[in-house]
Amino acid sequence: MAKHPETDLVPYLRGELPPAERERVARHLDECPDCRQDTDQLRELLGELSRSIAEPPAVNWARYRAELREKLEARRGRRAWWWQPVPLALATSLAGVLLFVAVWGVGRQVPTAGDPVAFEEAAIGRNLGLLEQYQVVERLDLLEEDLDFMSDLDGLAAGRPG
Amino acid sequence: MEPSDEALCQRVAKRDVAAFELLVERYQGRAYRLAWSIVRDPEDARDLSQEAFIRLHESAGSFGGRSKFSTWFYRIVVNLCLDHKRKRRWWKPWAGDAADDQGESFLERQPAPVTDPVDELGREQTMKDLWAAVDRLAPRQRAAVVLQVQEELATYEIAEVLKCSEATVRVHLHRAMNALKKTMKNMEKR
Ligand SMILES: [Zn+2]
Repeated sequence: MAKHPETDLVPYLRGELPPAERERVARHLDECPDCRQDTDQLRELLGELSRSIAEPPAVNWARYRAELREKLEARRGRRAWWWQPVPLALATSLAGVLLFVAVWGVGRQVPTAGDPVAFEEAAIGRNLGLLEQYQVVERLDLLEEDLDFMSDLDGLAAGRPG
Repeated sequence: MEPSDEALCQRVAKRDVAAFELLVERYQGRAYRLAWSIVRDPEDARDLSQEAFIRLHESAGSFGGRSKFSTWFYRIVVNLCLDHKRKRRWWKPWAGDAADDQGESFLERQPAPVTDPVDELGREQTMKDLWAAVDRLAPRQRAAVVLQVQEELATYEIAEVLKCSEATVRVHLHRAMNALKKTMKNMEKR
């Protein structure tokens, strides 16, 4: 006999299985008294559960919505005075620092004329300069990720009551 | 014709206050009931469902329209509730979820009534015991049961809400039902 289709029984009872799977489970049930018993118990259990769903304590919905509006307002207020200027200021100053590092990095590679080694160094230097510029681009990407991360943190912080 | 949930959500993304209010009115009952079914505390359920609406307000633009609005929104509610339970377990292990760890709920600590199982009181107790057993399930199993039995979501929708595969949902439900079947057998023995 095939493996007992244990995890298919709930979807089977709820009529969610596609025809082929449904057919396979039905055939198994014909042959397997254990799974048949399981299915009967499951049917009873699911029926019992849905007949006995409890209702939560009643809510005054007008008050609920008023509270929600207050919370939204409070959240907006908090963002305005504390959060929004921070990433902007942070982004600006970090970008400034990175730009300085990049410019300083390129500036350092000034070639000395007439010397093949110096010429090579200059070529490497230009590449290095390019590299550093790439690094800046990369870091700016990271910075963006950081900002995303920080706004996630903001979301999390906002998620905390109070 | 009434605008669809999805259309309202798109309007919320454009900061349409009326659309937001309408969505809140449509979903307030379901959001609160779903939260309550998972956290079982009316105050927390109120807070968490309101928080879900705030998240909806903030991130309506990220609703891609690939799933139904209800599934997308349930995911916000369920995530908040599961997070809440995790945090609470961590900083307040003696409250609320302690029942989970001790395998005993408030309802079960009450003396079992000495009544005929077919009479009304006994039946009420049976119902309570069954849902108390749901409360003791692992959080994701409990969420799967609540979404299926109470919110009548299909397995693929539960998978979207819990962000897992359908096969995983089937396993969650199978394990949950096994645990509940045991509870039911014990109740019959009583
Ligand atoms: Zn079988």
